[in-house]
Amino acid sequence: MAYSDKVVDHYEHPRNVGSLPKDDPNVGTGLVGAPECGDVMRLQMKINPETQVIEEAKFKTFGCGSAIASSSLATEWVKGKTVSEALAISNTDIVRELSLPPVKIHCSVLAEDAIKAAIEDWKKKKEVSAPAANATAGN
Amino acid sequence: MSAATTTAATSANCGNCSAATGGAHFCPACGKIQPLPRGTDYFAFFGLPQKLTLDLEQLEQKFHSLSWKLHPDHFARASEDERQLSLDRSSQLNDAYRTLRDPVARVEYLLGLAGMRKEGQKKQQAPPELLEEVFELNESLDELRETRASGGTAATMSGLRAKLETAQHKFEASLAAVDLELARVSTEWDAALDSSADDAAKKKLMEKMNEVLNRRSYIRNMVNGVRQELAGA
Ligand code: FES
Repeated sequence: MAYSDKVVDHYEHPRNVGSLPKDDPNVGTGLVGAPECGDVMRLQMKINPETQVIEEAKFKTFGCGSAIASSSLATEWVKGKTVSEALAISNTDIVRELSLPPVKIHCSVLAEDAIKAAIEDWKKKKEVSAPAANATAGN
Repeated sequence: MSAATTTAATSANCGNCSAATGGAHFCPACGKIQPLPRGTDYFAFFGLPQKLTLDLEQLEQKFHSLSWKLHPDHFARASEDERQLSLDRSSQLNDAYRTLRDPVARVEYLLGLAGMRKEGQKKQQAPPELLEEVFELNESLDELRETRASGGTAATMSGLRAKLETAQHKFEASLAAVDLELARVSTEWDAALDSSADDAAKKKLMEKMNEVLNRRSYIRNMVNGVRQELAGA
């Protein structure tokens, strides 16, 4: 199938491939899969707890070109954004940017899910590391 | 769309003699080949209820007899319309047969009829342990490829190979287990149809099948990946 230039570019020069320390309390890890094809994607981000800004993002994707491009693009987009800005990124933004055809939509859904899962993981870690503070703040 | 029951489209009438055809391939009154009523699914095509346990031998027999009856050669001297109908029906026959003959494709198809296998739709994620496994396996496969490409020592290679072989056995066992699970839910589905269970119960079974199919696709992927890599290593 014919990939768009942007997909090819991300595929050939993926940005931010790699990993961040999983156990770092400021790192959120999202591991998601696409049941359509059995591909998997891991997206990690380091988030500043004070400012809620995503300072670093890394990914590793075992999947098709569109999935690699989607996750590469996602890491570029989330860097420098706040958590709530990142949560607003939707797969349709990715589809548009990369001109993905309909059969490749699930690959972009994967990237959106990965962003959400990573932030979810980070939030969970924060709750665990500061349960006392949360409990009193709730009163 | 309503959950599956027998769906032979029954409202069709023959274009030639206008007798009611009940969605049959040929008009019961005048014997002319009929257009496909809209919404004819593969089960109905074979005159079957939407059950998941099929007698494969019987299916094959029906396939052969239909492909003979519908064959375009028989319509060489028929009208343009009839020739086209025979082509349409023959090609649908092949698709239907290919789909129904395979137990996994059969379930996928049934769920597709209920709109449950749509592309790009949000889906429930597979269990995290399974995703971890898939991820780790892919990393080992990468490692093997890199080691091979960089001319790793025989000892490293055989160590990696042994690891992959263990993984292969494990995933093949998982695939067999998930196939059994699918067969089990399929039987439950058939029983639900037999006892005319309500839509809620059917929906629940469909969701279960969907979940099993999703897990299966990861496992099958892993099995294929390891097989391929081991064949090349
Ligand atoms: S085909 Fe699987 S993620 Fe694209």
